[in-house]
Amino acid sequence: RYVRQLQRLQLLFSPTAADARGARQFVEEAAQDFARQHPDVVLYVSPHSGPGPAPVLRAEYLNGTVREELIASKTSEEIVQLATKLANQSGLDIIRIRKPFHTDNPSVQGQWHPLTNKPSILTIQGPRLQPQ
Amino acid sequence: RRSEKPNWDYHAEIQAFSHRVQENFALDLLKTAFVNPCYIESEEARRRQLGLDKEAVALQLQDNTALSERGLRFARAYLAQSFEGAYPELPAKGIEALVNFLTSQELVSYVAQNLSIQDLALCRDFPAPPDVLQRTFLAVIGALLESSGPERTGIFVRDFFIPQLIGKDLFEIWEVVNPMGLLVEELTKRNISAPEPRITRQLGVSTVLPVYFVGLYCDKKILAEGPGETLLAAEEEAARVALRKLYGYTENRRPWDYSKPKQGLAAEKAISSN
Repeated sequence: RYVRQLQRLQLLFSPTAADARGARQFVEEAAQDFARQHPDVVLYVSPHSGPGPAPVLRAEYLNGTVREELIASKTSEEIVQLATKLANQSGLDIIRIRKPFHTDNPSVQGQWHPLTNKPSILTIQGPRLQPQ
Repeated sequence: RRSEKPNWDYHAEIQAFSHRVQENFALDLLKTAFVNPCYIESEEARRRQLGLDKEAVALQLQDNTALSERGLRFARAYLAQSFEGAYPELPAKGIEALVNFLTSQELVSYVAQNLSIQDLALCRDFPAPPDVLQRTFLAVIGALLESSGPERTGIFVRDFFIPQLIGKDLFEIWEVVNPMGLLVEELTKRNISAPEPRITRQLGVSTVLPVYFVGLYCDKKILAEGPGETLLAAEEEAARVALRKLYGYTENRRPWDYSKPKQGLAAEKAISSN
């Protein structure tokens, strides 16, 4: 079954700073809908008063990775899109995937090895028949 | 510990856990499932140190040992039954080895860690030791058994434990000391004559790395063929390949059937009576 890999989202923003306007709008309008649509993600909203660090959306995944995304000067819709993008990711590191395919059964009939098509010692080679 | 960092709401986390796993739990059963006996002892010791009265010291929490025992029994019974259905030729020892592997500490604690149970489990040490995680996960299964009944719990166990067998070979899990003897027993049960080993192919006999392919023949018909470094190793490997074919656990068998179950009521009663 599908288990969503996002554990919790923490929205850290300041109620007075100018660049956190999008975050404040998100909290007022869209945060409840987002939380209702994703019941398996815990959404924490924590405003820290006064001028402080930039507004950030921190995502924690089931395998322990914590990913922080800056949301300064972003509109509410952009934050919603960002949140859904984080919710659909898994917690694996974002590195270059070496090949876009992977298979657990690399060979169906058995991998070739130098003895595959060689006749075994036990098969006796009969005399060559004359062409008729 | 995550519960001591900022932004932590236990009730919300437990609700999110039940949604993540897509199961309806009775929340109080689930909360008791996460309480371990070492946590109760450490809490009581802490309260006694703070100098509270005897009544305040005794916590009102039940621990999860009963639930975890029920969960363990149910999981073992369900897995044994599903293996008997899927691999009818596999002997009882093989099924027992598979079930033991699937309920072993490392596997269960690995699954539990990737389901965030290590954050929700209440225990004394941090990070939670694997036997605590195993007990907590089995208690969660027990709580699910009480809340939703054996069918849904069976689907849950199937969805989370059986994918751990993907890519694993039978004899990695089940240690067999004498595969040749076991093979001879199996063949006598099916009234086939004893296998006769013959060398099929050989490469590099006089070098450091020879390769011998030994085939096992019964009544001059091939049963299995296996490679090995020496003749004895090749014969043993051929016996193992033959056993894998007989038990139906080869690499090219049909993958596990994860569709909706249509098990009869008799099976349900057998599970619920455990």
